[in-house]
Amino acid sequence: MLVIRPLQNGDLDDLYAMAQNAGKGLTTLPADRELLQRKIDLAQETFNQRCAPEAGLYLFALEDIGSGKTVGISGIQARVGLDEVFYNYRLSVTVNASRELGVHVRTPTLHLSNDMTDTSEICSLLLSDDYKGGGNGLLLSRCRFMYLDEFRKHFSEKVFAEMRGVSDSNGQSPLWDALGSKFFDMEFSQADVLSGLGNKSFIAELMPKYPIYLPMLPESARSVVGRVHNNTAPALKMLQAEGFNFNGLVDIFDGGPVVEAFVHNIRTVRESVNRHAMVTRKPIDLDVPVSERAMISNRSFQDFRVTTIPISCVDPDTVKLSPEVAAALRVESGDPVRLAPLKDSGPWPNHYHRERSFQYREVR
Amino acid sequence: MWLVRPAELDDLDQILEIAGTQCARLSSTLPKQPEALSRKIEHSLLSFDGKAPDDRPARFLFVLQNAETGAIDGTAAIDARAGNGQPFYNYRRDALIHASHELGISRRVEVLYPSHGLTDHTLLCSFSIRPELRGTNAFELLSRSRMLFIAEHRQWFNSRVVVEIQGVQTDSGNVPFWDSLGRHFFNMDFDTADQYSGVLSKTFIAELMPPNPIYVTLLSKAAQTALGQAHELTVPNLELLKREGFQAGCHLDIFDAGPVLEARTDSLHTVVTSRRKTLHASHDERGDTCLIAAGNGSDFRCTLTTVYESLDDQVKVPVKTWKALGKTAGDPVRIAPL
Repeated sequence: MLVIRPLQNGDLDDLYAMAQNAGKGLTTLPADRELLQRKIDLAQETFNQRCAPEAGLYLFALEDIGSGKTVGISGIQARVGLDEVFYNYRLSVTVNASRELGVHVRTPTLHLSNDMTDTSEICSLLLSDDYKGGGNGLLLSRCRFMYLDEFRKHFSEKVFAEMRGVSDSNGQSPLWDALGSKFFDMEFSQADVLSGLGNKSFIAELMPKYPIYLPMLPESARSVVGRVHNNTAPALKMLQAEGFNFNGLVDIFDGGPVVEAFVHNIRTVRESVNRHAMVTRKPIDLDVPVSERAMISNRSFQDFRVTTIPISCVDPDTVKLSPEVAAALRVESGDPVRLAPLKDSGPWPNHYHRERSFQYREVR
Repeated sequence: MWLVRPAELDDLDQILEIAGTQCARLSSTLPKQPEALSRKIEHSLLSFDGKAPDDRPARFLFVLQNAETGAIDGTAAIDARAGNGQPFYNYRRDALIHASHELGISRRVEVLYPSHGLTDHTLLCSFSIRPELRGTNAFELLSRSRMLFIAEHRQWFNSRVVVEIQGVQTDSGNVPFWDSLGRHFFNMDFDTADQYSGVLSKTFIAELMPPNPIYVTLLSKAAQTALGQAHELTVPNLELLKREGFQAGCHLDIFDAGPVLEARTDSLHTVVTSRRKTLHASHDERGDTCLIAAGNGSDFRCTLTTVYESLDDQVKVPVKTWKALGKTAGDPVRIAPL
């Protein structure tokens, strides 16, 4: 059984091994023990509310209960751009037109922006190769939306994700080669690592501040602006299914798109429901296909836990849990839990919808 | 004998012919359409009479005439106010230092800023001459006669004077700077844009030119190399202007990135070294060849002459020079050494 829980001190070794395997592409989790330990410490402070809410870094670990190993990580940064400056390019259009000459030219233009400042970011998703498939990636990503929903006042109304942009197998990014490298005097991977390490002031100091007219860049660079790396395409699709959309911003280094959604519009949030746990001794077959599973959370701020159970366990007022699942979630009979479908088009039982509309009436 | 005088409407056909033989930029401010050119000559005639309307600053068009044959062999012009009441467009080449203390990086980033800074400076323009006369005394006469005109009519002109030099163009007619920058925004080839800038109001430049500064490093290599470089055909002109005291500053042409030369009007070599004298006769044709100019406004004439003697405020020159200038003994003239 796989369970989402807050990242803890004991996770360092597994995390380091995962970061090493991930290679250079993942800049938010560099294979650097000291840095990873700092992240764990910050996550612990965040969950225990020992740091300012806007400084929070909510990192979740995916643990295989059977082996006790940490096999994935995902996170939410409460706010970006508060103690450093957060940069994107806004892809906009400049029109130059002359009625006299009958000329009307549209020029795609990159404007440096700090538009995502003070917004919550979902970030740092990494799943061990051995555990890919079977809905584990969905759980690792979507558990965050349950958390956002549960504790909305800690986050901005809108959340966003930066998607990895196009680079070749040698780590060369066409946009970087045509643009960033002309100003930064370093390799893409080096710049990306520096920015991941938090040395972001160098960006402000070295970045071109004036708008960049795209037609002045080579076709290879123009074509990757707003496009994701092939490896990131599934993640983009998943976020799009949740209601995230490209917001016109791109990464200043590799041109990867920024996608965003309002928390109340995220599908997982819209479709989640509350129940009370009912621990049962009756055997439950946990091994059902992804499309028949639901995420279930214990609704705890400090010890947030999520796992998946068959949708068939969800009853009108309660949800049947095996003792093992209840233990993994650290809940007992009668405790409140929250549920959401794991996969995009999971068939919720009818009573879910009935009860949901009833709930709304009651609220009014 | 060569004579420089204000252009007249009768010169129209010959001027059109000369404009047609020049490569694009040399004559860009000289219209190739008869109607436009005739309007320009009319405005020039008003300007020489000191009657240019307030909303259309003075523009003076001169022609180089072969006194023996009457043929027109060159043109040159002065716009009293660059931009002629509208903005005068250039790029100003400047630099920013992008430095990171943390990383120990310091980097010079060159930037082209759109500029109207030279608007209202006096502009020398429309210089064209038959190719076989390039580099001859006639060439020098045509170019420098304008400085003598300025010296004689100093109050009509600004304290600073500029001249745009044609930039790099390949043998096949491509302009690297245009291809790397302007083409994307104007959606037309260089010659078309250049033509428009000669005959249309400059509004279209304001409408189509990218409004933001341009990073030099994002231009093509060929365009970067062309920045501030003069077309090889303009080298004799460039040399002459440098001798006059013109220097390339930081301004570039917005279309081809050719250099814009700048000088202080009162420091121009011809303005400083020319002297006012009273005209007297010489029956001897020996002596140093000098530039000599006489006449106010539309009576302005300038030619080359041998000077037999130049003492105090008198100058003795052959009588045929008098005739060319339309002057007689005792009239004031201005002379300058070649």
